[in-house]
Amino acid sequence: MIPMPMKKRAPTTGAVLLVMALLPALAAAADPEIILGTEKVAWERIDIRVQAPLVFSGGEEAQRAAELVDAVVRDDLHYSGLFNVLRAAAPGEAQADSLQASFGIEGTLEGRPPGTAVTADEAAPVLSLKLLSYPERQLLLGKRYRPTADQLRVSAHHFVNEVVQFLTMEPGICLTRIVFSRGSGDRRDLWCVDYDGENLTRLTANRTLNLFPAWSPEGDRVAFMSYRDGQQGTYMLDVHNGRVSLVGETPGSNLGPGWHPNGRELLLSLSKSGQHEIYRMDLRGKSQRRLTVSPAIEVSPDWSPNGRDVVFTSDRTGTPQLYIMDADGSGRRRLTFEGRYNDAAAWSPSGEQIVYAWREEDLTQLVLMNATGEDRRVLTEPSWRNCEDPRWAPDGRHVVFASDRTGVFKLYVLDVIEGTARQLTHGDEPDTTPDWSP
Amino acid sequence: MSTVIGTSNSGMRGLLLLGLMLGALSLCAGCGGGDAEMADDTTTLPAETVEQTPVVPEVPVEAETVEPVVLDYASMDPAEYGIEDVFFAFDEFSLSEEAMTILAANARIMREHAELVYLVEGHCDERGTVEYNLALGEKRSAAVRDYLTSLGVPSTQVRITSYGEERPFAHGSNESAWALNRRGHFARP
Repeated sequence: MIPMPMKKRAPTTGAVLLVMALLPALAAAADPEIILGTEKVAWERIDIRVQAPLVFSGGEEAQRAAELVDAVVRDDLHYSGLFNVLRAAAPGEAQADSLQASFGIEGTLEGRPPGTAVTADEAAPVLSLKLLSYPERQLLLGKRYRPTADQLRVSAHHFVNEVVQFLTMEPGICLTRIVFSRGSGDRRDLWCVDYDGENLTRLTANRTLNLFPAWSPEGDRVAFMSYRDGQQGTYMLDVHNGRVSLVGETPGSNLGPGWHPNGRELLLSLSKSGQHEIYRMDLRGKSQRRLTVSPAIEVSPDWSPNGRDVVFTSDRTGTPQLYIMDADGSGRRRLTFEGRYNDAAAWSPSGEQIVYAWREEDLTQLVLMNATGEDRRVLTEPSWRNCEDPRWAPDGRHVVFASDRTGVFKLYVLDVIEGTARQLTHGDEPDTTPDWSP
Repeated sequence: MSTVIGTSNSGMRGLLLLGLMLGALSLCAGCGGGDAEMADDTTTLPAETVEQTPVVPEVPVEAETVEPVVLDYASMDPAEYGIEDVFFAFDEFSLSEEAMTILAANARIMREHAELVYLVEGHCDERGTVEYNLALGEKRSAAVRDYLTSLGVPSTQVRITSYGEERPFAHGSNESAWALNRRGHFARP
């Protein structure tokens, strides 16, 4: 029996911890006890006060730009899962709301007076954003940008990435994107969307099925499966110039692909032998090395982040279950024993955890477990209906997946620590097989 | 006071480090006189970086259009020769007795009409993951092909492919729709 999602445990206090750190004498007296556990982390968000950039010049356009930056910064901070965003009181309002803040974000925006700029570059305002400690208001981090109108979001994302990096020593994910397959019937095109759901862009337009897009480790290419004349093949999209090239096409299935962390090889499930087997293939499609030998269906391979192991699905026991093998095909061991349908495994960026799709009683849910197969925990709720195709964000905290909770498969982003999900894509067409950019 | 931290969470580690850092900073503030306005002339604090605009690679729409494949089911209707589709049980690719009876009839027709070439498409219901269903669909189409060839149909007359759960015949999330979608479909390529 897999334990269902746990509600938040006793509130732990990141903010309190922080305040204590700010007051070294008090911190020494309290001596917080740290327990390493495997249960869902009770994480208290850090209170941060955000004030929209003050507009010094530039009129209404500058005001709108400041509002946009403010909104993006707030969303980014909230989506990170690290911060509780407090709205700064407007002039004249009571300041009570910001008294609890540990940090503050303030800024200024100086636009050109309307009508004085000819080009977009000339019209770009000077945007200055600062991270301050609270209540001392020490300057911790300052950034200045010259964003043209279409770069305002990117500048705000960039600043929040810097804030996250500064406060957690881990890179933020505000400039990442998600590629996925959209459509139904005879057409599935690859689309791409910013991690916050903005900038939806179509990447392919070839009137056939395009599925399983996978970002290269450098984020410069997307490998995917496409049908041509009823035949599956592995294709590569160069995201800099939009060019698509054929990597390899073998008779039968060409499922996958999954990138080696070094970006030089792909894992595929090919059925040219008459059975679905896992293969490694180089990017020229020439060298194919078979890793499995079994009459069963073997699909959904994913390389471990260090490239040493491969997790995959096999139904050799009669039901699809997860297995791990060494990257040369040796040392195969079964990972899941519970349930009749365990599939679509994705290795976390740290290599310590695996998320996968578990089907029981006609409902697919996402399960998180250690890479050893232990400590399994259901991440999703039955009320979210079927949850499939999980892929990790580079922060190891968020997982994008497809769910049909609205009646049609759309993409959602799950915060693995808090157990909450937000909808990423909208519309009537099904969205499936997402992958998160590095 | 106790703090529960997951083994996978590095964020908390960072927070602790940050606490130490801020501890140091607050000491600095104490000796610096306490005026903590948003001053740009602070020397002990991180300096503002020079102007910068992060560069994000553009993602243009695919430049080249791969040969369009438009499948027109109406023109591929094999019913004019009496060829029928076969159906499968959930997560199964073995042929039922009923399916074998249908395939025996199909095989007879195909042997008589050597010009008939079929693309047998393996289809699945919507349950299960996209990738596994594509594999399962191919197993179904291969089972159909193998049975037809065992009945003397030349292998040149049967090609196979899989569409998994991607092209359902019936829409709906109930057994009657699912049953219609778990099939080996005979299409004219």
